[in-house]
Amino acid sequence: MASDSKGTTVTPPQTVAQGAAVRADHDYDYSNFYYSSSDDLFAIFGPYDDWWYGSARNNGYYLFSQPMSTKPGPEINLEDQLTHEHRDMLNLASYNYLGLSYHPEVVAAAKSALDHYGLGAAGSPILSGTMDLHMTLEKELAAFKKKPAAMVFATGYSTNVGLLSALLRPGDWAIMDQNVHASIVDGVIMSKANARFFRHNQPGDLEKKLKGTTGKKLVIVEGVYSMDGDTARLPELVAIAKAAGARVMIDEAHSTFVYGDNGRGVAESFEMEDQIDIHVGTFSKALGGQGGYVAGSQGLYNYLMGFARSRVFSCALAPAVTAGVLAALRVAAREPELRTTLWNNVAHFRKLMSDAGVDVGESTSQIIPIMIRNDRKILGIAQKLQRAGLYLQPIIFPAVAKHRSRFRVSISATHTPEQLNRAAGILVETLRSEGIL
Amino acid sequence: MNPGQVQYDYRHAIGGFFEFPTENARKLLPPHLHPVEPHHGQSVLSVMAFDFTAGSVDNIGPYGELVLSVHVAPRIEAGRPMARAAFYPFLVGTTTKESREHAIARWHLPHFPHNIDMNVTIGARDITVGAAHGGAPILDLHITDYQWETVEHYYQAYMHDASGSYMATMALRGRFSENEEERGGITLHPHAFTAGLDIDGVNTTPFRELWMRDGTQTFDPLETLQPGVR
Repeated sequence: MASDSKGTTVTPPQTVAQGAAVRADHDYDYSNFYYSSSDDLFAIFGPYDDWWYGSARNNGYYLFSQPMSTKPGPEINLEDQLTHEHRDMLNLASYNYLGLSYHPEVVAAAKSALDHYGLGAAGSPILSGTMDLHMTLEKELAAFKKKPAAMVFATGYSTNVGLLSALLRPGDWAIMDQNVHASIVDGVIMSKANARFFRHNQPGDLEKKLKGTTGKKLVIVEGVYSMDGDTARLPELVAIAKAAGARVMIDEAHSTFVYGDNGRGVAESFEMEDQIDIHVGTFSKALGGQGGYVAGSQGLYNYLMGFARSRVFSCALAPAVTAGVLAALRVAAREPELRTTLWNNVAHFRKLMSDAGVDVGESTSQIIPIMIRNDRKILGIAQKLQRAGLYLQPIIFPAVAKHRSRFRVSISATHTPEQLNRAAGILVETLRSEGIL
Repeated sequence: MNPGQVQYDYRHAIGGFFEFPTENARKLLPPHLHPVEPHHGQSVLSVMAFDFTAGSVDNIGPYGELVLSVHVAPRIEAGRPMARAAFYPFLVGTTTKESREHAIARWHLPHFPHNIDMNVTIGARDITVGAAHGGAPILDLHITDYQWETVEHYYQAYMHDASGSYMATMALRGRFSENEEERGGITLHPHAFTAGLDIDGVNTTPFRELWMRDGTQTFDPLETLQPGVR
């Protein structure tokens, strides 16, 4: 490092054999390596590796994808990818909102299915991969959602990609909240439909973006937004969409089995289920499994059966997972007290944060962002938290806007008040020591 | 400064990045350049305003400059500094004839053929630039600050005219503030300067705001791109 005559800190570009020179500092992030032009497809690898090994990894990016050696419960064991030490930690990072991934009934059902069906479905759902378990899950899911039909997909990502690329065609319009999940964006891209994004949760901007659209239209929102933990302003958004003659889709990945008197999601909580045409959700959040679903009309089901390519050309959901998800669905439907416990935990943790003056953004859900608003400090804080025994994932640009970096807390019904107290204690003490509070 | 480099000193350099339809962006770009899309179907309109105090060549003196650009994919090659971003300026306006003639001759930058007026208003935490020509408003750009730091950032600028296609690497040094707090804004007025834009399609709130103070903009020598290079 050196300083020029104006006191500018200058880091000389690294010398690299294969690629362009990347400064080994904080000036780059993932977004800098997405677009590039070159005569060689692999030219980007050199600068990317320079950034990754020269600064990013050791400065905190190693905190992503660290291997867990336990079930994703309130207390876990994690391997530090820098030191390779194993640490016991409190876990506020997993989606396991109802703790069903390791519920005894769920695990027993999965084991039994493994014994009975073996490992995989060994075929596409439209060929040999559909088993009686899949049909039962779809039937019970449709009944739970109070819809004529529900279709199961192998992953949440492939659900949205398959659904949207099946329904939309070039010339159609998809009008989306700017914060919708990547799977929705990718599905729209694959469909080649016209795409417009309205500013997050702003009905006025939705109205503006609908102007000038003609023909088939689909407005897409989420129940709970995964980075901010806020809920869709459904009454206003749906009214505007309907006035423009658009169909409406809601992705309730983070809200099904959590919101509503019966757990059917944010649409149920607003009593607007019948005004929404397509209901999407996943099994990997509150149910602790894997896969996704589309619930709606029988006509929608029939059409997706023929045209949802991500489903047609993938192996069906593994039987053991299907059986586990089915058991988890039954538990979630049968035991509303799980949701009560979850919401009590959410209120408890929210009060701990409020009492300590922690900024939790606009969240109203079980997803509670701990706003750090400092892109350079957050990775170091995450490292301190982990070494103090608290597992939280840092969320940084480009996943969120610059300077809106945060930790994303996921509360579970299986956290005890004592665990939440300890976790909050570690969090608040660390934020104070770092000058965030 | 190395031989062949040209340096410009500025008091303020501000910028806003605005999403606008890729359909509009493609009409502004030569075929060999491709727009960066932060959202599918949405490209980036960059509106930059500079308050230059001097240039190291051609005795061009103090002047203001307004640059409308489209973000494009940066070129990656061995030995070249990795650019933070790349721009294709599709229209530049300046407050003096000398600076305009200098930039056209040296950098092949497309210019509005008349002097424009630029008014800079600096607040406690924000800055506003109003640009006009002959009494008719062109645009008003409002940018807010965040945390300040001293930086050296590399960018690429692409140019294209009847004589060929070009690229220059530039370094921006100085005090720097950047945010995505969506507190800034732009008003684009119907005017010959903004005629290339579908004004209703440009988001009026920048998804990113930049402000640099008391720094330098240093261009490496212009490079001629071979036909077919992208």
